Amino acid sequence: MINPILAQEALNLALSTGGDFAEIFLEDRRNNTLVLQNDRLETVNSGRIHGAGIRVYVGLNAVYTYTNDTDREGMLRCAKKAAQAVRDQKEGLVKAKPFYTPAMETVHTFRQLPSQTAAKQKADILRAANAAARSVSNEISQAVCTYTDSEQDVLICNSEGLFVTDRRVYTRMACTAVASSGMENQSGSENPGAMMGYELFLDRVDPAYYGAKAAKTAVTMLHAPQCPSGVMPVAIDNGFGGVIFHEACGHSLEATSVAFGMSEFCGKLGQQIAAPCVTAIDDGTLPNEWGSEHVDDEGTPTTKLVLIENGVLKNYMIDRLNGKRMNMAPTGSGRRQSYAFAPTSRMRNTYIAAGNDDNEEIISSMGNGLYAAKMGGGSVNPATGEFNFAVQEGYLVKDGKIASPVRGASLIGKGADVLMKIDRVGKDMKMAQGMCGSMSGSVPTNVGEPMIRVSAITVGGRA
Amino acid sequence: MNEFLKKLMNAAKAEGIEACEAYIVERDSFRAMVTDGDVTEYNTNATKGLGFRGMKDGKMGYSSTEAFDDNAVEQLVRGVVESAELSEDDDPVFLYDGNTETPKLDLTNDELYNLDPYEKIARVQAMEKAIKAYDERIDKAARNMIQTGRYTIRIINSYGMDRSFTEDSCVMYGQATAKQEGHIATGFFGRGGRSFELLDAQLIGSEVAKSAVEKLGAEQIPSGRYRVIIHRDAMVDLLETFSGIFSAETAQKGLSLLKGRLGETIAAECVTIIDDPLLLDGLDARPFDAEGVPSKAHTVVENGVFKTFLHNLKTAHKDGVETTGNASKAGYASSVHVSPSNFFIRGGHKSFEELLTEMDTGVVITEVSGLHAGANPVSGDFSLLSKGYMVQNGKREKAVEQITVAGNFYDLLKNARAMADDMAFPLGSMGSPSIDVGELSISGC
Repeated sequence: MINPILAQEALNLALSTGGDFAEIFLEDRRNNTLVLQNDRLETVNSGRIHGAGIRVYVGLNAVYTYTNDTDREGMLRCAKKAAQAVRDQKEGLVKAKPFYTPAMETVHTFRQLPSQTAAKQKADILRAANAAARSVSNEISQAVCTYTDSEQDVLICNSEGLFVTDRRVYTRMACTAVASSGMENQSGSENPGAMMGYELFLDRVDPAYYGAKAAKTAVTMLHAPQCPSGVMPVAIDNGFGGVIFHEACGHSLEATSVAFGMSEFCGKLGQQIAAPCVTAIDDGTLPNEWGSEHVDDEGTPTTKLVLIENGVLKNYMIDRLNGKRMNMAPTGSGRRQSYAFAPTSRMRNTYIAAGNDDNEEIISSMGNGLYAAKMGGGSVNPATGEFNFAVQEGYLVKDGKIASPVRGASLIGKGADVLMKIDRVGKDMKMAQGMCGSMSGSVPTNVGEPMIRVSAITVGGRA
Repeated sequence: MNEFLKKLMNAAKAEGIEACEAYIVERDSFRAMVTDGDVTEYNTNATKGLGFRGMKDGKMGYSSTEAFDDNAVEQLVRGVVESAELSEDDDPVFLYDGNTETPKLDLTNDELYNLDPYEKIARVQAMEKAIKAYDERIDKAARNMIQTGRYTIRIINSYGMDRSFTEDSCVMYGQATAKQEGHIATGFFGRGGRSFELLDAQLIGSEVAKSAVEKLGAEQIPSGRYRVIIHRDAMVDLLETFSGIFSAETAQKGLSLLKGRLGETIAAECVTIIDDPLLLDGLDARPFDAEGVPSKAHTVVENGVFKTFLHNLKTAHKDGVETTGNASKAGYASSVHVSPSNFFIRGGHKSFEELLTEMDTGVVITEVSGLHAGANPVSGDFSLLSKGYMVQNGKREKAVEQITVAGNFYDLLKNARAMADDMAFPLGSMGSPSIDVGELSISGC
């Protein structure tokens, strides 16, 4: 993607005004999007993202420049711009070291690349999802089915001599089904994907299953009364339910917040921050998972990182620059949406590990409360730990029995508080896919958990 | 670029593309982040991207690129052909011929564009000082940001249209945490526009600090039905989230409950909603839309009566009306959709304090979070983590946190009782006054 001699020249130019570390991130990415709605394939769009970002550190401060012109002139212009942005310019003493490429085991492999798959085949996935969604009920008034894939080639090299490349291939489908009574609309969504090629649909994902699942949620919610308000116990099912950990705790363990003292978990390593039944892991090494990579976007190999072990805080997720701020080693967590973003610490595949409780007992011993079968998205303020997320499909529990579906519920609380109130962790851990937005843009992340229960949480409803 | 475009148009013609259009975005941007006086991040970039679309056998195909070599020409043309051949969308599609005058709007500011980066940084540093000086309970002011940018949009097509406009903009915002007896609160405030003078360090810094300090000691309130005023700053977030219901594209897909309700009363009489791309106060001012159609203001809801959907050429043809000039692209690579420009609810004649007095007892909501999750544009339902304060006897009382406010946007428009006179565009293209919305459900303790 770039001649190493030119890369050396650009790094040295970037360092010429006193920088002490320089890095090049080069990206070439091909995207495809297909959208089927109104029972017909309406949009087929393809694109190519191409550019490079150059970063220079001066102490704990960083300069970042990026460009689409990755030929010799463009790269040197970009490097020069970075050098010129360094404030107290002095003679550059640091020089780029000769390149080396560390040996790396190939963990993530791809069998059928999107670029070698006919668009007709991709459209078939959408047709299957759409047909299945529509066949669930005649109350389904619309299904919007989207197929996306991308092949991303990255090259990362830096003035310490690192020179690595990585290929990430992503494939995903989404189905949003709408059920309508004419007066009211309710929707349900499913969005399965993986870091895989088209083999996703041969190995893991049956589009008809997910199309039907989205439609069933929409129909169930159309006939559900409003969720009541108040504080109650809540059981959250596996899969996307793991978004509770992602929001309530995950973001607050990213160096992005911790390094600036803007997290409620600052200075708490080694302390009990969650109930003893909680062990949480962030793992970027799982083969072909949605949030996996061989190396992060700074070229550091990804890791399996235990964040919380039996309730005790063990690790933060750390990128290179914030690692310097915190005086801690990077954990392979430096990620970015594209060359147009400087990297920062981000989650990868983050989940609460399986525990010892039976799902039946979790429900039967909860008395009156809420069973969240399917979660929507959420957000968090890491400084205070205040989080919120939506329940896409919820059921009222009465006397330990699932009674009736309810709509419109959201869950709120403070991370530190809710982690301590987890009183059950089931055995069947499952992950689900999301796009996580933060300082360095939108990146693919998995959330996951077995069924868990929180003994008391504020449920926002309307009844 | 002109050489590239010529090659592209010729190659498209040779491949049997009947009509085609390139949409080019060039961007020159600067961003700096300051923490404790230090410039922790300094970004400067120049990029361009090209979206290409073309008609083949009456179908529209799309492709895009950020690389501008000969390969790119081939990839763009092949992408459009493949896309058009696969498309099953048999609704008529159009490119605009551009035989119209566009309004003159001055959106550039050379002084801002040529400003020394370190003068911009000094402004953020001054704001950070102002945050810290405001109150001794301010604990941290971190990741304070200034962004400036110039972008140019050019649309050129095989019908002979070739038009462009350039815009400069700047935005500065700060964030702070305040601490008191173990309670932590965060504050945020920002301001943006097309002139550096708007970025008043003292004013923005004070507002950041004030928004943090005011939340100290906030408590949950019991769950129940409450009288509610939604402050302007929270109302614009709600309006943005649900603005899609006024799009003809959303309605034609059956995803808006306003479908088939033109001319009906859908909101209280005090509700008037306007889309005005010519208004310089909003950050979405533009002389023409993403299809090159000249901009014009439209009243979408007038005294509660639903007057028009927002349209592009395709949705307008389907409904048998004229386009409102609301074609939009989420980026150069996106296909053409419909979205509002500067979109606002018209203000009323009462002051905010008069609204409080009339409500007497209730809650003012100043902040809502998690709209991408807790608000459903398809159903209109929302249940959102919120902050605000209690009002008793028309006076501001204790701060409130850890509550959700739940309701339905369609109902909210119907139940609106009064508008304050404080309409503004706080940080973008959505504007609203503070609104007395009647009763809503609140979940707390």
